[in-house]
Amino acid sequence: MSEGYVVRDLGVRIGDRAIVDDISFSLAPGEIVALAGASGAGKSMSAMTPFGLSAGVASGSAMLDGIELVGMPERDLSRIRAEKVGFVFQQPLTALTPHRTVGQHLQEAAMQAGGVKPDKAAMVAMLESVGLSRPEERLVQYPHRLSGGERQRVLIAAALAHGPRYLVADEPVSALDAALRGEIMALLVRLCRERGMAMLLVSHDLAGIEHHADRLLLLEAGKVAEAGPAQQIATAPATDYGGRLMAATPRLSEPLHQLPDTGETLLEAETIHVHFPKPGWRRGRIDAVVDASLSVAEGETLALVGGSGSGKSTLGRAIAGLGPMAAGSVRWQGTAMPPRNRRSSEHRRLIQPVFQDPLASLDPRWSVADIILEPVKWLVPHEYRAERAADLLEEVGLPRDFAGRKPSSLSGGQAQRVAIARALAANPAMLLLDEATSALDPLVADGVVALFDRLQRARGLSLLFITHDLALARRTAHRIAVMEAGRIVECAPREELFANPQAEATRRLIAASG
Amino acid sequence: MGRLIARRLLTAVPTLLAIIILSFILMRLAPGGPFDGERPLAPEVRAALEAAYGLDKSLPEQVWMYLTRLAQGDFGPSMVYRDFTVSGLVAEALPVSLLIGGCALVLASLLGISAGLWAALRAGKWQDEVLMLAATLLTALPTFVTGPLLALIFGLWLGLFPVSGQNDGWDWLVLPVVALALPVTGAVAKLARAGLAGELGSDHIRAARARGIAPLTILRRHALRPALVPVASYLGPAAAALLTGAVVIETVFGLPGLGRYFVQGALNRDYPLVLGVVTLYAALIILFNLFADLIYGWLDPRMREG
Amino acid sequence: MRPALVIVALIVLAALLVPPLLPFDHVAIDWDSVRVGMFTDGHLLGTDDLGRDRLARLLVGTRVTLSVALAAALVALVIGVAWGAIAGWVGGRTDELMMRIVDGLYALPFMFVVILLMVVFGRSILLVFLGIGFVEWLTMARVVRGQVIALKQRPFILAAEAAGSPARATLLRHILPNVAGVAVAYLMLTVPHVVMIESFLSFLGLGVQEPLTSLGILVNEGAEEMDMNPSALLLPGGVLVLVIACLTIAGERFRDRLADAAR
Repeated sequence: MSEGYVVRDLGVRIGDRAIVDDISFSLAPGEIVALAGASGAGKSMSAMTPFGLSAGVASGSAMLDGIELVGMPERDLSRIRAEKVGFVFQQPLTALTPHRTVGQHLQEAAMQAGGVKPDKAAMVAMLESVGLSRPEERLVQYPHRLSGGERQRVLIAAALAHGPRYLVADEPVSALDAALRGEIMALLVRLCRERGMAMLLVSHDLAGIEHHADRLLLLEAGKVAEAGPAQQIATAPATDYGGRLMAATPRLSEPLHQLPDTGETLLEAETIHVHFPKPGWRRGRIDAVVDASLSVAEGETLALVGGSGSGKSTLGRAIAGLGPMAAGSVRWQGTAMPPRNRRSSEHRRLIQPVFQDPLASLDPRWSVADIILEPVKWLVPHEYRAERAADLLEEVGLPRDFAGRKPSSLSGGQAQRVAIARALAANPAMLLLDEATSALDPLVADGVVALFDRLQRARGLSLLFITHDLALARRTAHRIAVMEAGRIVECAPREELFANPQAEATRRLIAASG
Repeated sequence: MGRLIARRLLTAVPTLLAIIILSFILMRLAPGGPFDGERPLAPEVRAALEAAYGLDKSLPEQVWMYLTRLAQGDFGPSMVYRDFTVSGLVAEALPVSLLIGGCALVLASLLGISAGLWAALRAGKWQDEVLMLAATLLTALPTFVTGPLLALIFGLWLGLFPVSGQNDGWDWLVLPVVALALPVTGAVAKLARAGLAGELGSDHIRAARARGIAPLTILRRHALRPALVPVASYLGPAAAALLTGAVVIETVFGLPGLGRYFVQGALNRDYPLVLGVVTLYAALIILFNLFADLIYGWLDPRMREG
Repeated sequence: MRPALVIVALIVLAALLVPPLLPFDHVAIDWDSVRVGMFTDGHLLGTDDLGRDRLARLLVGTRVTLSVALAAALVALVIGVAWGAIAGWVGGRTDELMMRIVDGLYALPFMFVVILLMVVFGRSILLVFLGIGFVEWLTMARVVRGQVIALKQRPFILAAEAAGSPARATLLRHILPNVAGVAVAYLMLTVPHVVMIESFLSFLGLGVQEPLTSLGILVNEGAEEMDMNPSALLLPGGVLVLVIACLTIAGERFRDRLADAAR
């Protein structure tokens, strides 16, 4: 009997559609192999379908310890899963049954391969091994009491409870906060190494896995574009696709490129406070932004970096007059900007936003031309007409005849370019980019980042670049402000920030992005 | 959980009061009164009667009088059935209504939940389609059509069950209960199907499948409770539907339940009787909603924190 | 969805177009043929106890039931959309207060309130549908509010604000057009519900009054003579069930399709 997991000419179909086409790879005992690629490349399908955990139908061959999985009846497949493999999924928030306690989950998982009922000490040990604090308390808690990161730790503990030889992890960290991703990934790798487990890792985040995986497969449209040792692909990709993908993935180690020159200070925000009422009748308040000050110069990119809930989006919106602001002042070229509801069309014109979710940023019932010209209607009237929409489309790199389309016929990248064209229609001096590339696939995101760079040089735009991705901020921004718990804890030119980080939060972010 | 229940009870009291006061005022605003019989009464007799029932007082005074008496459990005298108190009539009628409604609720839940779960396990197949079409048809069956129809077929033609009144056995219950239960069964089946079908596609079921847990165990242990949440949330409306349906069913099958008194009382302007029944109905519905909250909490621990 | 709508359309067309073509109207008494069977003396479905043409009465009853239902559903639509849109759009404490009121009203034994209304304010057909409409808007308000809140959080609303669009224009040009589909789906589901309520009231003698007739009245009359003449119960009952079932199926399919499209 040959040990390991060997996949040969695996195909996956859903109905008539081929999702995965003839991919082959192997996973030796104790080895970590990563499947990477853009969304829709078929990486999750390749990992899950042989085990009967996707909607797809597999063809070809997938041998686990010498047993053929393709074509195996569900009953037997279920036993193989129970005995040999542990699974970790992307969505920790929903992968635990809401009415069963953490302890009940662990107990079920430990007994899935027919083991004895674990006692409390054993379950506490399981939770300790995945780094969960106060494990005894957790055992009797229901999942909704736990944070996303804590739930993912519980799921990892459950996946390992029966002592499997193999672990399949499908985007195990991508639903988690940026600061946690590195930690959980490192935990998974450590557990694999300690227990001699092999792991099949699925991820779209190349930078997050290339140091952890032994071997890497880059998938493109259901085929293997490149395969080999992870370090080799990361440093010297052999194929064009691999090269482009690597170039599109920002890293802290990469050399710094020259950014455009900056001019006079345009915008100054001082001691901004934002708080939200808590829901319910007896209200307290949540302080979302506390005492935040920043400035942006003409032609400058300032990155606001922080984890989810750090207040970076709220601060950006307060400055742009698109969100509440309890106290503080915003000045534009030295004169005060009025609060949100009293900003004139001239004030509104100056700062235009681009948001994270491209399709949700466009009204599904409007045509592309109407969407792009919406600011023209209210902010710069009687100046442009239909020709203007086509010009703007061209400026953001889309065909002129897209003007008649509806948002539903656009891809994510195209939709985001339409949203950028709408922002440009107002003839702004500054763009508020709120995670504007983080919902896009790496190559598409890289194209949009390049577009921002081009627009900045051509129009002398200032960019307020909000992101969770420190490496991306390092690549694009003149200066970086780090936010934590509603405060700006550090703000410095990029070279300085990395050479000599002052705040604890900055050091943690740098460590997590390494 | 305790705090949630306490809060529900606290909001129930003003709701109930509002219903009573509103109904009271509505009844008083109505043109015509209980003593507008076929022959006009002599003015002195009329005045005496009105004084006896407190109708000569101002509206707020009447409301207050009614509420204070109600607090002592006294619904007042019936104005039409002159020898009876409302409490007496209600005490006689309530058990009949509760028996029919309770049986119908149990029947509808059992049938509806089993059919819905079965359909969800065959989601997308023809059995599912047929069952759900049948469920929709059931919800479209008004009790005032099915009641007479069942009476006609199983009572008059086949002679299997009695069609009118009570007897000492149990067979008088069958037709009213079935007629009452049919539309609720359809609604419960649809909710149970939607609940389980949605649940089966969820992440935590996939996670359980990944652990190799047997399908039946997954169903029992992981899917069933969350799948029944929509059914539980229908419990309050179902109670209302059953009470309303009972009004017709009791009329059709000649049963001395609350519904009949309500309709008779409304037609005869028998204020105390109608008010008594409305109050009781409102209390029952509030009680059912509370019961639904308890079941909710059991089904999903997230609901225990109000 | 389509066959169900076709059936409803056929019933509506028959109820609207056929009665003027019949030799008898729904109140005229044919003294020569009282209580005759089907296909007698030009009465396709026979006549009732008073010698009135059953077919004419069935069609007119259908028309009355459907128009009351549509009118009441429209009342519910207007109140529900306005209430839900305002609560969702304004948000905060206004929203909480408005939705608490809806929650409170939900707990009422509604049918009884309607019955009280009917008893108190006489039994005009106008009141029947106003009363039902005032009862039926609650679900619409909840659905519309949920939809508006979901839309409000979509970034294109924020983008509209950045584009200088005034709040009223955003509400009219972005929010309401996107709510319309769901509102129509629930309108389609409200109509059968109202048909049920109207027939129920008429069955009890509290709804539509003679000389007008409605499906509920016909079912009531049919139930009294069902042992002699089952078709008197089966025909109006059948039309009623068919209308309710078809509209429900069509409305649910439409709603599910919208939900799928949103995903």
